[in-house]
Amino acid sequence: MFTTKSFIKKNKVGHFLKHVREHYLRTDISCGVPECKKCHSENTSSLTKPSNSNNCSIFNYDHYLILDTNIILDQIDVLEEPIISNVIIFNTVYKEVKHRSLPIYKRLNTIIENPSRCFFLFINDHHKDTFVPETAGELINDYNDKCIRQAIKWYIEHLPNKKFILLTDDTKNRQLAIADNIPAYTVRDYVQNLDKKSLIEDKLSRNDLHSASEEKELFPPHLNKIELLKGIKEGSLHQGVFRASTVNFLEGFVNVDDIKEPVLVQGRAGLNRAVDGDIVAVEVFSKEQWVSPSEIILEDEDVDEQEVEEKEEILKNSTVLESEIKPTGKIVGIICRKWKQYCGILKDTSDLGLYQIFVPANKTIPKVRIQTRQVEFLKTQKLVVTIDSWPRYSRYPHGHYVRALGLIGSQQTENEVVLLEHDVPYSQFSKEVLRCLPKLPWLITRSDEEVRVDLREFDICSVDPPGCTDIDDALHCRPIDNTDTLEVGVHIADVSHFIRPGTALDLEAASRATTVYLVGKRIDMVPELLSSNLCSLKEREERFAFSCIWTMDRQANILTTKFCKSIIKSKQAMTYEEAQLIIDDKNKTDAIAQSLRHLNSLAKILKKRRLDQGALVLASTEVNIMMDSETMEPLDVKVKKHFETNSMVEEFMLLANMSVAKKILDEFPDCAMLRRHPEPPASNFDPLVKAGRHLGFDINIESNKTLAESLDKADKSSHPYLNEMFRMLTSRCMLQAVYFTSGTLQKADYYHYGLAVPLYTHFTSPIRRYADIIVHRLLAVACGADRTYPDLLNKEKSTILCQNLNYRNRMAQYAGRASVAFNTHFFFKGKLNDEEGYVLYVRKNALQILIPKYGLECTLFLAKKGETTMFQYDEERQTQSADGVTFHAFDPVTVRLQLDSSNIQHEKFILQLVKPIIRGFSVPALNDLNDGDRTESNEKRKSDEESGKNNIKKNRK
Amino acid sequence: MSAKQQLINKIGLRLDGRRANELRRIRCKMGVFSQPDGSAYIEQGLTKVLAAVYGPHQTRNKQKAQHDACIINTQFSMAVFSTTDRKKRPRGDRKSIELSVLLQQALSAVIETDLYPFSQIDVYVEVLHADGGIYAACVNAATLAIIDAGIPIKEYICACTASLANDDVPMLDISHQEEILGGPTLTITALPMSEKIVLMEMSQRFHLDHLPKVLDKALEGCKDIKEILDEAVKDHVSKIGSATGWANASS
Amino acid sequence: MSLCEAEKTFILHGVAENFRVDGRDREGYRPIELETDIVQHAFGSARLRLASTDILASVKIEIDTPLPEKPFEGKIEFFVDCSANATPDFEGRGGEQLAIELANILTSAYSAPQTLDLRELCILKGEKCWKLYVDILVLECGGNLYDAISLAVKAALFNTQVPKINNMTIDGENVDIDVSENLLDCRRLNVKHAPILVTVCKIGEHCIVDPSLEEEQCMMSSVVVAVSNNHFSTITSMGSLHEETLFECLNLGHKVAVRLNQTLIETLEKMPQNQDVGFLK
Repeated sequence: MFTTKSFIKKNKVGHFLKHVREHYLRTDISCGVPECKKCHSENTSSLTKPSNSNNCSIFNYDHYLILDTNIILDQIDVLEEPIISNVIIFNTVYKEVKHRSLPIYKRLNTIIENPSRCFFLFINDHHKDTFVPETAGELINDYNDKCIRQAIKWYIEHLPNKKFILLTDDTKNRQLAIADNIPAYTVRDYVQNLDKKSLIEDKLSRNDLHSASEEKELFPPHLNKIELLKGIKEGSLHQGVFRASTVNFLEGFVNVDDIKEPVLVQGRAGLNRAVDGDIVAVEVFSKEQWVSPSEIILEDEDVDEQEVEEKEEILKNSTVLESEIKPTGKIVGIICRKWKQYCGILKDTSDLGLYQIFVPANKTIPKVRIQTRQVEFLKTQKLVVTIDSWPRYSRYPHGHYVRALGLIGSQQTENEVVLLEHDVPYSQFSKEVLRCLPKLPWLITRSDEEVRVDLREFDICSVDPPGCTDIDDALHCRPIDNTDTLEVGVHIADVSHFIRPGTALDLEAASRATTVYLVGKRIDMVPELLSSNLCSLKEREERFAFSCIWTMDRQANILTTKFCKSIIKSKQAMTYEEAQLIIDDKNKTDAIAQSLRHLNSLAKILKKRRLDQGALVLASTEVNIMMDSETMEPLDVKVKKHFETNSMVEEFMLLANMSVAKKILDEFPDCAMLRRHPEPPASNFDPLVKAGRHLGFDINIESNKTLAESLDKADKSSHPYLNEMFRMLTSRCMLQAVYFTSGTLQKADYYHYGLAVPLYTHFTSPIRRYADIIVHRLLAVACGADRTYPDLLNKEKSTILCQNLNYRNRMAQYAGRASVAFNTHFFFKGKLNDEEGYVLYVRKNALQILIPKYGLECTLFLAKKGETTMFQYDEERQTQSADGVTFHAFDPVTVRLQLDSSNIQHEKFILQLVKPIIRGFSVPALNDLNDGDRTESNEKRKSDEESGKNNIKKNRK
Repeated sequence: MSAKQQLINKIGLRLDGRRANELRRIRCKMGVFSQPDGSAYIEQGLTKVLAAVYGPHQTRNKQKAQHDACIINTQFSMAVFSTTDRKKRPRGDRKSIELSVLLQQALSAVIETDLYPFSQIDVYVEVLHADGGIYAACVNAATLAIIDAGIPIKEYICACTASLANDDVPMLDISHQEEILGGPTLTITALPMSEKIVLMEMSQRFHLDHLPKVLDKALEGCKDIKEILDEAVKDHVSKIGSATGWANASS
Repeated sequence: MSLCEAEKTFILHGVAENFRVDGRDREGYRPIELETDIVQHAFGSARLRLASTDILASVKIEIDTPLPEKPFEGKIEFFVDCSANATPDFEGRGGEQLAIELANILTSAYSAPQTLDLRELCILKGEKCWKLYVDILVLECGGNLYDAISLAVKAALFNTQVPKINNMTIDGENVDIDVSENLLDCRRLNVKHAPILVTVCKIGEHCIVDPSLEEEQCMMSSVVVAVSNNHFSTITSMGSLHEETLFECLNLGHKVAVRLNQTLIETLEKMPQNQDVGFLK
């Protein structure tokens, strides 16, 4: 029943300690087979349902499968297929999988937890009869294999009527097993003989595609683990995360902790099969060999070996810029692969062979070679593929097909791709979650009224963007009698009243973390009943709110602050525009109008004060895409309009957030959820400072205050959009703001750089952000309206939660942008327009153009492929000139915009210069063309459209 | 979501193979030494404790003597090799002194002190191997040693630890590994027969929601321990008895 | 414990007759029980029970830097703790003086060359070596502590497993060492010549070995000899002795030590593994 395990481990100080752990051996561990009479079956195991049986033509009997560790690590995609069932996983294997790969361990857990899959976990190492002690001089792998064999032997003896089959790709283990009379096979043998094999076979991971010998080795070998670790310890190698360049497939960076700047790696030998995100070991060259990042844009378009070499040559010649020299190195080994599943399509070829090239949607990921028997079908689909290996002789990594998402180009598929690529959970809410919702009709009870402040008589109104159904904030303001003070209230939907901690609803919301807004689609964080009804502070509906009420003097100084749970009844729900009209309409003098005017004037003071403290005003283009409600096609793309009321609401939300942040930090110094915005490192500002210098502006980045001041000064009356562009550039220099738990950081690090406030949190949007719900709960405890629960006060738990929130928020943001980009493309399909734009950056072979009207950023290539450019590039001053015209950053231009759909996955805009006119390069403006030309261009447009349709039709075949 | 190790796996087994409500293996022996008036040795899993009792005897320090009760003098000490990392000194540090005091308080609750005015009872415990639940093991060992010394007590006094696994399941008798990986640990010293709790100590703060179930579990553990101790005492007494020939005397 | 005059005289006469109170002759030892590997998380350990004297010795190992004057040697350190379990007199710091005395005599016994070859413990000349911490816990005092302790220490050292070095990386000042995690992959120390202490007591006109607690009260003077490989490594005498008596004592001590050593080594080599009994016996 009892034994001990001992091992020696080194502790932090470098002492070697002998650890002893207890290890109990039990007799009550069930074998999991339901027919077994000897074990008291625990209900937790559901190994076989009668409907489930494995049919494999090698055997004519039903059987149980037993897997070794490598099978699970390599073939998890196959295991995820429901064909495979009745599998017994030994704990030895299970633990080893966890040790080797956490993602696969999680996937394995999902399979085990799904009762219909009939996977059973057998704790062999705690079973009296299957425990095997280690013997001297044995390798850990051999020991594990021995444990597996011992456990199978036990199973065979335990249940002589059942059949057990070991799957292992390890030859030695297989031979030893067969010697022990255990039937053992390789996965390939097994899967190929399965009855319903055809699709599953594609999913087999391929580590043995070719024999390497006769092919040319394209990449230098990787160092092995021991050499890598040794190198890192000695300091000759550095460990870091590899980030591929988004524009140049032969370039990337490695972010190394102990080197200030990222290390540049170039060329195929330099990248050496690293894939974006991998943790790699990099060798940094001596200083003489350092080069600058190339300014050119290279795309991996051709399979031809020759061309790649040519491109490498181009790359080499374009990296000699003295001033821009960066630490340079080469990747010598991979410490940890971070391969995931990638979305993409098959490369369009006429070849219908077994091997196909998969093109990921993410440009930082290389193309993947896969093996499939269903080319015809897959060609029409968006696919998910994983990478298995990348041998030295292969230009592309080898992978296998996982699943198809849907037809290429359909909006639904694209949305799904966006969601999938950004890891957004978008499945329907489960039954357990929906069960947590309140029953309709929902009524306010007497007991609710007792514990809440009744504000139903107050003149509360909400101001939101048009079409908003999840209204989470409302405002009011009224003068207090006999004093010169005002009472200002911010009322936030009381979501935490409906979402109780620990419920399925709460867990789901915590995991989703945020509502994701795509064009024409919203992925709710909480079910619609709450988001659009019970929590939403709708007009003339009684709703629960969490109110923050200040008294202020006319100079917007806060005199008192009060927080309470309340019942409100919004008098009016307005859009920003409507609210603006009411304020501006001098004839309106009702309570709402007065209230709005007070709020507006207070907000102006608040804003000024905030800006004086150094808060930054940043710009980014946000666009509205008008959708046709029936066809779900975009009708128009417009930059969002801003009204004074936008900033009015914003100011009070900021104020509420700050007040709440202070309150919860006072109450919970160790576990308050706050939001911080770290100051970016000075190097981040380089492009901004450079751009400013060219135009004669001195951008002072010493602090947020000086930065804000210099941004204010960077303006030219002749150039109305200039200031906006500076602010846009500035916002790109910023770091992400993040949630964190107080008590995990130094007080000074709580600072919010962008807003220039020492404390900040999120309180005002609990319907669409989970962080706000936590803040609500904390605040409710702080003001005695609710009680705590364990996880709320647990610093580690909140830290983990914050990590998830930060990750999901970032992803939601990217997903939103990706969706806008896709729809903008959709909108421009087949259109040909001349648009006003500005040069944002000057690159070596291109200009980056911003078109403010659509918030678009595109690339104007200065030379066609294969031609030499007629432009002179001045690196020092960052200009391009030709034919007497010189382009600086921020110069206005007119360009012709056209969508290039030749690559279905990466539709891109093709720009042609219209103005200023450069002979031999620019094209005449559309308006100047005569009618004949216009029809021509229209015809061209038509034919474009048709070809587009054809494309789709072809795909549908 | 978290990479933190789960203390209880899917099948309901803990890291060492126990279930949540199982104690570690307890083995004990009374009368280990010949010189003290009472002595005992207990193993709870790998935690090993020796206890020795001297007395009741005259108080060494006359000033401390009480006219209506005996004083109980305890000393807690850990061998320098008892922890995985070698300790600098066996006693005198803050933790040892605290544990001495706690032990003294616990024992005062059960020893019939008023039977021995002007006297003193010395209880010394020595931890040989610390693997979680040191205090609990010390109390249990002291109980056995006091019984061995023939000092009258009201009833058994047992101590046990409990904690929460995966923030949800209460589990009993926490090993060192679980102490490190897991959350707060609750140690209670109880009189299992009358279900009274004499002492309760928590390593970190517990949320009030969790406390009752963990406390219940710990109390259950004390009762289980009492059964084991009781068995050991009976066994010991019957051995001693038969060796001295009591069976013959009665026939 | 104090004896009355009559008791002392009885003991004295017994020694003179070569028939001691417990029936031994003057060179006789009381029964010894020995068990090794009793402290599982130590690298080596032993418990020795000599009649009612109970000693627990454990060996822990740490990485250290060798002394500059002895770059090729590892280190060894002794620490004795007299547990209050042994006697209430040891409570608090009561046993400290005795403990220091015991540790010192062990240190000097082992510091003589050719006792324990410390070069075995060198990892990297002048940079890294193993340091052995020998911790002794006195659990019960039934007389003759020195002999019992030395035997326990020797047994514990015999039992000690020194981890094998797997990998060593040297980077300027920093030396990084990796050892095999597997405990089955360790080496043993050579302790054949580790010293054995023998206490020789002079009671009346005669010398005896292994005095019991009572006999210790009657002794007039005593000599503790440390014998290693037929050599004396330390001699400590307490009380005054005539030169002639001293040599008599040394002879006796040597004779007994050789005998003890032989028996100990034989016993240790025959010692079964994994007894898992300890104090439960």
